[in-house]
Amino acid sequence: MLTLFKARSVITMNPSMPRATAVLVRDGTIVEVGEPEHMQPWLEGQQYAVDEQFANKVICPGFIDPHLHPSMAAVLLPMEFITAMRWKLPWGEVEPVTDAAAFDARMQQLHEHKPADEPLFIWGYHQLWHGDMGKARIQQISEQRPIIVWHRSFHELYMNDAAMNMAAIDPAQIKPNMQIDIERGHFFEVGLGFAINRLNPWILAPEKYAEGLKRLKQVVHHGGHTSIGDLATGMFNLDAEAKALTEQLEGDDVPFRTRLVVHGTRLTQGGRKPEEGPAMAQELLRHNSHRLSFGRHIKLFSDGAFFSQLAQMQEPGYIDGHHGEWLAAPEELERHIRAYWHESYQIHVHVTGDLGLELTLDILQKMQDEKPRFNHGFTFEHFGFSTPEQIRRIKALGAQVSANVYYLHELSDSYAQSGIGYERASQMARIGSCFAAGINTTVHSDFTMAPAEPLNSMWVAVNRINHAGDVMAATEKLSQQQALEAITINAAHAIGMADITGSLRAGKRADFTVLNDDPLTCDPMALRDIGIAATVFEGKVFPIP
Amino acid sequence: MSADVARGGDVPITLIGGYLGAGKTTLINKLLSHTALPQGTAVLVNDFGDINIDETLIRSESVDGTVIGLSNGCICCSISDDLSKALDELHRLEVERVIMETSGVAEPARVWQHCHYPGFAPMACVVLVDASNYEARAEDKYVGNLVRAQVAQAHLHIVSKTDLNPNFELHHLTPQLSSQDPDLIETVLGWRHTDEALVTDILLSRQPSFRAHTWHQEGTITRTSLETFLDELDESVQRVKGWVDTFEGIYQVNQVGSRTTMTELPENQPPPALLGLVIITYGNAGSASESTEHAGGFAPDQITMVLSS
Repeated sequence: MLTLFKARSVITMNPSMPRATAVLVRDGTIVEVGEPEHMQPWLEGQQYAVDEQFANKVICPGFIDPHLHPSMAAVLLPMEFITAMRWKLPWGEVEPVTDAAAFDARMQQLHEHKPADEPLFIWGYHQLWHGDMGKARIQQISEQRPIIVWHRSFHELYMNDAAMNMAAIDPAQIKPNMQIDIERGHFFEVGLGFAINRLNPWILAPEKYAEGLKRLKQVVHHGGHTSIGDLATGMFNLDAEAKALTEQLEGDDVPFRTRLVVHGTRLTQGGRKPEEGPAMAQELLRHNSHRLSFGRHIKLFSDGAFFSQLAQMQEPGYIDGHHGEWLAAPEELERHIRAYWHESYQIHVHVTGDLGLELTLDILQKMQDEKPRFNHGFTFEHFGFSTPEQIRRIKALGAQVSANVYYLHELSDSYAQSGIGYERASQMARIGSCFAAGINTTVHSDFTMAPAEPLNSMWVAVNRINHAGDVMAATEKLSQQQALEAITINAAHAIGMADITGSLRAGKRADFTVLNDDPLTCDPMALRDIGIAATVFEGKVFPIP
Repeated sequence: MSADVARGGDVPITLIGGYLGAGKTTLINKLLSHTALPQGTAVLVNDFGDINIDETLIRSESVDGTVIGLSNGCICCSISDDLSKALDELHRLEVERVIMETSGVAEPARVWQHCHYPGFAPMACVVLVDASNYEARAEDKYVGNLVRAQVAQAHLHIVSKTDLNPNFELHHLTPQLSSQDPDLIETVLGWRHTDEALVTDILLSRQPSFRAHTWHQEGTITRTSLETFLDELDESVQRVKGWVDTFEGIYQVNQVGSRTTMTELPENQPPPALLGLVIITYGNAGSASESTEHAGGFAPDQITMVLSS
């Protein structure tokens, strides 16, 4: 059965035919993109349907987020969001809450609408906007209902007495020098672990987790994605995650596919040598299903979390003199990279600071000296800070970039003030230079580090406006064409799926994101507000209400 | 303090830190099979992978594979990236003391903070230093800051691979042992960080323990007053080490038991970065009030009185 989709315009991301007005699909695969009159030879003598529901819409290649974390998102998504930035979620848009009074009012509102016997988990608090948090403040909302307020960074939380009772936390056990301030109900670092271990029945119970993954499925669909990358499968527990993902993200009702990239150091944890990793990762391919597939990809880690200012920085480092952290000893990272490089894997390395990037570039240089490879797809993930010289090295070594461009929007202002200074903060996510150098460059959300909304990532990449309203390093802006490439064809290259998706041409899967407006010609400031009418996954329409 | 109170006290944690390859695993392997390892000790490691547990020692293994019971009454437990989970598990198992390997890229001071966990308290931070490459590592573009911080944050240094670099010495006023020292294990197990008020109230304060007292030299003294001081040290003093500036010259001091050597720094050599002495004692040190009752007994503030000029 053939279906002819007609549109106001089709943006193909195929440079040889950038625009069209129709796509002809058979069994989930595109047979031709172009003008209806050219498609007659396919249609003669065949049964076919003309689908005109998108006749006044713009069809784009299905959006791709090449780096997010379904398992982490599943923990967070059942919580209520109160955030300083806006988050468009399928069950309602979260409007920015930017001061303490508004935060309390929103807590009150959530409390009043929640059934009396349920604990209230809130995520998104940040002292920069919402003032000092503490038990007394939460108690004013309710002394009876357990209320837990999670910091935006996820690295600390606050709770009231009712929540401590629920979690069976005995204040008498807590001493003053612990990473717990019992008077303020504040749990951080290892104290956060203490709290999580006791809150687990409410946040990590299998039915909660399944509920979270169901929500994730909606988020991914509403963001307009038709493919995503789970860039650290096995971060908690490979078997448990694989089982839950199979239950929730496989099946006819799932409008996207997931490239699973296994967490390399977790894979061989527990006594296996890194050199055994490639064979173990290969073994995982046997479990591939239609929508969930491992490839010859591996995820490794260089330096610390960007949101926690633990990125490893070259001189002059951080203003306050603190240092970032390594997630593995450089020798260990090199050993893991070597194991997979020599087995011809595509290696994805989490790098946040310019020193983390420098180290990883040095290792990649060594690998190229040992065993030169072309088209190896080595990918720098997150790509917070970099230098212009490093851009040249990335190009010369044949690597690619997957950037969390949203850092720039949410953090460039505060990092300029109290991190690394204006010059370097304004140049985070140096992706205009990457495009100029001809490096395959994509952007991602690292959800829940950033909203899983490719149009929002595109908006940040094109406008480079931070939350304070300042344009940061205007010369690093992407054009609308480049930014759309970033979330489609370039992303497909990054997760090894460019042969089947990422652009619209004969032979590829019929994956579309259908927009109400044209993302290449609209006002750049309107990008993130373009309505998404539907997605089409392998020819099947999934409307977005 | 009754035994009941003691049992209800915090479980002390000894940290074993140091960069990749410095010998943490070797030390832990030695500890696990050593007769001096007290019953009820839990050894926390990052990953069982490198730990070499004698199979005849293994008595049991937990379902999830993170806890191994040993026939010497101790357990070995893997952290698997979640310290709070491991500590909660150890609390449930009612262990009496913990020896914890830190990650090779961890700053000990940070992990020290993590040891202030409900039911636990940090006791000492032991950092291994690889004599064969420390100097190069300390200047390394990527890990220089880290390995220098590891050394600076230690309460006891254990220098490994000294055979590859016999003259290696850390010019830090922190006690230093060689990994070849015969009483290495006993010293590690008994090591107490004296600044930590918490641990003085726990069971171990009534057991013999090693402590270090550091005197940072501020003014120049006479050689005679230095010699007198060293002569009159209490018998609880096991070792003295450091550099002292006297009117007669700068001396390297090294005292083990009753044997003392003082070597003058040659004139053409630059003075050491830190001047002062590290004094290691062993015994039932008890509380501060007890030690002042012993006539001639050693107390850290006395160093200042005797040696300040």
